Amino acid sequence: MNKFWQNLKSILVKDRRMMMFSIIRGLAAILIALGVGAIFIFLTIYINTDDKSQTFSKGLEALKYMLIGPLFTTKAGVVSFNTMNFYQILAAMIPTIFTGLAVCVMFSANQFNLAGEGVCMTGGFVAALCGIYLSTGTALDPFICIIVAAVVGGVIMLIPAFLKVKIGASEMVTTLMLNYVLMYLILHFLNFNFADRSKGSTQTYAFAESARIPALVEGGSKLNWGFVVALVFVVIIALFMFRTRWGYSIRMIGINQSFSQYSGMKVGSAIVLSQVIGGVLSGIGGGIEVLGRYSTFLWKELPGYGWTGVTIAILAKNNPIFVPFAALFMAYLNKGCMLMSTYCDIPSEMIDIIQAAIFLFFAAEQFLSKYRQKLVVKSAKEELAHIAKGGAENA
Amino acid sequence: MEHKETVESANEDLVVRMVGITKVYPNGIAANQKVDFSVRRGEIHALMGENGSGKSTLMKVLFGLEQPTEGEIYINGEKAVLPSPTAAIAKGVGMVHQHFMLVPSLTVAENIVLGMPPTKAGVFIDYKAAVKRTREFSERYNLPVDPMAKVMDIPVGMKQKVEILKALVRGAKILILDEPTAVLTTQETAELFHELKHLKEQGYTIVFISHKLNEIKELTDRLTIMRDGKSMGVYDTAAISEEEISRLMVGREVSLELEKPKAEPGKTVLKVRKLCYTNEWDKRMLEDVSFSVREGEILGVAGIEGNGQRELVDILFNFRKPQSGTAEVEGVSLIRLSQRKIREQGVSMIPEDRMTYGIADKGSIEENVLSDRISKKRFNWGPLFRVKRMYAESDRLIKDFKIKCKSRKQQVMMLSGGNIQKVVVARELSCSPRLIIADQPTRGIDVGATEFIRNKLVELSRAGAAVLLVSADINEVLMLSDSLIVMNGGKVAAYFEDAGILNDVMLGEYMLGLKHHDKETIAKACHEEAMPEVSNE
Amino acid sequence: MLERLWEMVFKADFLFVMIRITAPILFAALGAVIAEKAGVCNIGLEGTMMISALFGFLIAYWTQSWIIGVLGAVAVGVLLGLMMGFFGIKLKTDIILAGIAVNMLGGGGTIFLLYMFTGMRGNTGNLVTPNILIPTVNIPLISKIPVLGEIVSGHSVLTYVAFLFVFLMWVLLYKTSLGLNIRAVGESPNAASSVGVSVNKMKYIALAISGAMAGFGGAFMSMYYAQGWNSGMVAGRGFIALAAQAMGRGEPVGAMLSSLLFGFAQALATKASALGYSSFLVSMIPYAFTIIGLVIYAWSTVNKVKKHRKLKIRE
Repeated sequence: MNKFWQNLKSILVKDRRMMMFSIIRGLAAILIALGVGAIFIFLTIYINTDDKSQTFSKGLEALKYMLIGPLFTTKAGVVSFNTMNFYQILAAMIPTIFTGLAVCVMFSANQFNLAGEGVCMTGGFVAALCGIYLSTGTALDPFICIIVAAVVGGVIMLIPAFLKVKIGASEMVTTLMLNYVLMYLILHFLNFNFADRSKGSTQTYAFAESARIPALVEGGSKLNWGFVVALVFVVIIALFMFRTRWGYSIRMIGINQSFSQYSGMKVGSAIVLSQVIGGVLSGIGGGIEVLGRYSTFLWKELPGYGWTGVTIAILAKNNPIFVPFAALFMAYLNKGCMLMSTYCDIPSEMIDIIQAAIFLFFAAEQFLSKYRQKLVVKSAKEELAHIAKGGAENA
Repeated sequence: MEHKETVESANEDLVVRMVGITKVYPNGIAANQKVDFSVRRGEIHALMGENGSGKSTLMKVLFGLEQPTEGEIYINGEKAVLPSPTAAIAKGVGMVHQHFMLVPSLTVAENIVLGMPPTKAGVFIDYKAAVKRTREFSERYNLPVDPMAKVMDIPVGMKQKVEILKALVRGAKILILDEPTAVLTTQETAELFHELKHLKEQGYTIVFISHKLNEIKELTDRLTIMRDGKSMGVYDTAAISEEEISRLMVGREVSLELEKPKAEPGKTVLKVRKLCYTNEWDKRMLEDVSFSVREGEILGVAGIEGNGQRELVDILFNFRKPQSGTAEVEGVSLIRLSQRKIREQGVSMIPEDRMTYGIADKGSIEENVLSDRISKKRFNWGPLFRVKRMYAESDRLIKDFKIKCKSRKQQVMMLSGGNIQKVVVARELSCSPRLIIADQPTRGIDVGATEFIRNKLVELSRAGAAVLLVSADINEVLMLSDSLIVMNGGKVAAYFEDAGILNDVMLGEYMLGLKHHDKETIAKACHEEAMPEVSNE
Repeated sequence: MLERLWEMVFKADFLFVMIRITAPILFAALGAVIAEKAGVCNIGLEGTMMISALFGFLIAYWTQSWIIGVLGAVAVGVLLGLMMGFFGIKLKTDIILAGIAVNMLGGGGTIFLLYMFTGMRGNTGNLVTPNILIPTVNIPLISKIPVLGEIVSGHSVLTYVAFLFVFLMWVLLYKTSLGLNIRAVGESPNAASSVGVSVNKMKYIALAISGAMAGFGGAFMSMYYAQGWNSGMVAGRGFIALAAQAMGRGEPVGAMLSSLLFGFAQALATKASALGYSSFLVSMIPYAFTIIGLVIYAWSTVNKVKKHRKLKIRE
């Protein structure tokens, strides 16, 4: 029994050490990304204000808005929690949780499918159309619309998936092109067939009240029940990836395709499945966002949730469980950048610069690798000492 | 039998002298143990040994591809430190690898001058000069090549000449050739020998790594034999017989005891008939291979690697498709059948390349050890896994197969080589297979794991499975096989119904092609009498 | 309607427009070619074009010289290529992710940078003056030839440079020792390093040249084509270039032909929209074209591969 506890402790210590290393490395990457952002903020202020001495204080103010602003407001020296902002942040997470999950699934199978953007927009469009023309007037409406969006999303993804499996066409380039194709198709139909001419800007007719997703919290934060649905899907996809044979196949194929083939898994089907699921999730995300936040479909370009989804998947290391946290982080930062842009005249596109930096540092295998090497050596030495002391391991 | 080891006098002109070379790899395997190796100037010196004897490692050290853990190297009498191939090349050592290091879409001339091309104005390649230089060297060394042809279009024999020229052009005076005739036809081999002798006359020194006795007898002046990482001595080629060489190369004390109850073979499980396979380079790798494996017996496939065993195993598991012939398990053809269906037929395979096929390195032990059965009913409740049962099965397999690990959640790549193989074996042997194909099952793993795996194979065989054991390890194949066939040159060269009558020296002779059986004896491998239907073999 | 469209295609001015549209795609495609030859996939061409377009224009505006502007754009492209190399090779970030990161910088990052340097939002508005744009050239004798003159003469300097680069890229790859090394490294890194060619160094160089090409493409866009910079200007040309490289079998001349094909598709789209077809459907044409082209290319490769009897499953 004593040996059991000894072994257990050594497991935890070693694994915890590696886990701590991963966490610290991730944090370092994020800090560097934020640091890069901060540098650009200071530069922008410096160049664009006349009174250069004010740069530092203005820069700090901008950073304050970006990093603290989203949840805390300061009025007359009193810091208070900003509930409205909090709900808005949660609401912003809804589409990105879905696209994040979609990318997790696809990247797990090593498929660099980037069509989440286009499919998300398509999902929103299709859901809106259903809400306008297929509404039954009952509470079933949102479900019907979202299901249609999901199906359409999945079917669209069959295209790059089959092209990849049957003729080896790079899913990366086909999906990048597909995004534009989908966008223009939607814009065409929007402008020519479904536009509400009575309105000033291009948009469809309003969809039925019953089709709109009811709000979760009153007050205009746009936090709707879609948030709950998103969290439910996090659980579903986590279960799918880790507790079903299809998710297992997808993951193993991403790790080693030859091994999967040899073990009897159906490689082609799994590749197609991973992309179709990605399409379904992206479609749902778009559908829920449109039906939950707006009363008509009015996107005039690709909404950008797909790319955020990629960032989220990277932060979450392709693990569905971490997607909501990564989505929260991105939504928080996004809100911060928007606040900064409103109050400090710094463009909200700062978020893209930070995202790019996160990409580069977070996914860098060799980042801080020297320290990981030291940790590995340290762990190995301790293990050897443990063995020498009379552990049960014998060759 | 007496063998005269040659003695080197102190004032020999030794162009290469390696003293006390030891190389221990990070996984603990000692590929070279205090090896002394020296080569006289202007001689053709053979370096012989089985796979795993350490000969390749020794030459990698000489060429700067590996660093010795201990020992010294002297080239032309001066101590040499060789941290990289560039350093070795600078000292005049050139290596012609077994797997060519050529760029397929570039021409012969381009490959030869790569890294040091003749230039115009320092920027543009002077193709005419490159072709001219190639032709000069080609003529000087009598290695005819077509400088303008693309490497992907030329035959294997010419590719090798290009590799040799590459070394010579960089000033190599010492050429190491690693199993050069493995890929050549008889004709090309004769050409190569002619060229090598020509080079020798011009004062070049050649180290010739090979295990082909007849070639070594024909070509070389002296030979060094390696076995199990140690040097067995250096001998004058003319003064030592092929049988003696064979014995030194291959004989060893049987180090592991194995309890093997007598085999009682039943009906035929695997039936391979007239299998023929030609590879991408138009080389005939399998020619009319026929044999049967019955339940309750272990059929060993002995042979030096490269004689068709790889292709045979690949065909049986649908990684290659034969041009003709059949392979059936209890009446169902394996050829072109999906791996899933092959497994459903009760066939398991322990692959030779465990890292590529046997495991998913980033996956956990549990994920790896159950990879062939995750779709089975007993592990699934509707769409979801029955996790408790999977945990239980993984734990049971870990225990039964004595896999040394932290837990079933541990990543497989963190395990030692022997334990990784045990994961593979645990999976392949635990699904009650009818036919087990074991390809080099204990290569590169520790003694304990080796013993365990071998015992498991015997246990399953006696319980009724048919085992096809492919191994280049003579010791293993003799220890485990009830019957065995020997593969040489893509053909079944011999069949021994009772492997017990063999010893390593005898088997070595068949493996090295010194002896072979007649057609009738070989045909017995098919066990036609064990089959109910009439055959017209 | 279709007949009218067909008629327009064979007019000289259509071909002129086609060549003009092809040029930036061609630059980027050449960038894709050299990167791929070294065994690296540069999907950051899109972002590189955006960023160098911005900087090229800004530098031209500040120095009031279009030449320095173009050089600036190229320099920025080189820097971005080297940065991708640093993250991809040294820090071992997946080169695809590094490319996506550059694209993100090229998307929102450029809007930010524009504001940072000029205080303007989204486009360069009225910063444009003729002297900072790339001039067009009327080739003396050729411009007099009836049809040919209309097609070939009168293009911007960079347009001619783009097609010249096809030749130069070919020379680089097939006539210089650098090109030989790059090709060796991309095809057989082991063979290359066994003769002392540094695989990493070649990859850096290839990425730098790739970035430079994208820099030219970006300069073309902001300093001639769109006469100013605006976000959304590049519109996927960097991605179309990847397809052009694939369809051109990775060779400069092939990439040129594929780029011309896409230029044709886009010119067609422009004409069609002038004729009244929906501008959206018409904008879609080049991208749909790319997918179809890729599919045809991949399908034909599979058949070729089948002939070589490769029997193992590939990634």
